[in-house]
Amino acid sequence: MAASIASVWEGRLGIDAAVLQLRRGDPDALATLMARYQHRIYRYLLRLVRQPADAEDLFQQTWIRVAEKIRSFDTSRNFDAWLFTLARNLALDHLRRRRPSSLEGSSGGDSPEDTMVSRLRSADPGPFEQLLARERAGRLAVALESLPLSCREVLTLRFEEEMKIEEIALVLATPVATVKSRLYRSLAQLRQILETGAGGEVRA
Amino acid sequence: MSRLDEHAEIREQLALFVAGALEADAESRVALHLATCADCSAELEGWQLVTGGLRRLPTPQAPAALFERTRALAMAQLAEHREQRRNRIVLTLLILFSWAVTLAGWPIFRFATGGLLSLLDVNFRQTWLLFVVFSAGTWLAGGSAAVLLSLGRQHERRLV
Repeated sequence: MAASIASVWEGRLGIDAAVLQLRRGDPDALATLMARYQHRIYRYLLRLVRQPADAEDLFQQTWIRVAEKIRSFDTSRNFDAWLFTLARNLALDHLRRRRPSSLEGSSGGDSPEDTMVSRLRSADPGPFEQLLARERAGRLAVALESLPLSCREVLTLRFEEEMKIEEIALVLATPVATVKSRLYRSLAQLRQILETGAGGEVRA
Repeated sequence: MSRLDEHAEIREQLALFVAGALEADAESRVALHLATCADCSAELEGWQLVTGGLRRLPTPQAPAALFERTRALAMAQLAEHREQRRNRIVLTLLILFSWAVTLAGWPIFRFATGGLLSLLDVNFRQTWLLFVVFSAGTWLAGGSAAVLLSLGRQHERRLV
């Protein structure tokens, strides 16, 4: 496992110029990186905390933390994994403070009308095919939201962020084997919900 | 391994296969098996529907106002850190300069006032004591000023 993780680091040695500039305190580099990662970070946070208002708050905190900590970032490491780890740590702290049980992944929120799913559903209507696709995406988003936190995050990192298994292991600070077993369990649960139509609470 | 055992084992690996989470050799075995097993191919399609759907989920967009607000806050944070770093460098240089002046001051003082001190009958031990008292007093005053400035700065931050 160590070798595979090391290969991920080595593969990223062509460090982004914007990251290097930001380490030197260049504000333009911060704007560049924010523009590049804004939607990915926001989506990841939204998948973790499910409430857009919380995700927005954590989004702000994440970039302020980036500005604070960028000098401690080791340029031989993977910036994506570092950034997502910062966001994840803030989200987990937030969930612990707010309601410790939410780390286990209950399906309910404080205002269910304003969740990630409702955002998908309330998007602008398009052609008929787009509506059908949106309906399917809506069902999938409902099923995804009903999964526990550990399942939601591994699925979003793999299929939405398209991270490699080794990168996910770095973000989650778990061995590669654990990531794989979690990925398998999460897919199985998601498929079961979609096939049986059971949208209720599922716990790992 | 019997054909049935292999079939069961491959079937268990299909989810990780579509997730691209298998090692190269395991992936090859699954691909070989799929070429000859209609049952596993059908099962694979079920997994592909799930993973394909996940990949195609619409990306929620961060609101533009949030981006602008966050950028302003992060820029301010960055500017504050830059200023703090600059202040630390200036403070370090000042401390080094103060020490250099203090250490160099003693022999210069003795050289410059040697004749006068001998007239006043001030011996070496007395000049040494004077020097220590003078230096300690200077550093005490400097340290107190630094503490007071730091407290004032903290107070200002609390107000902000």
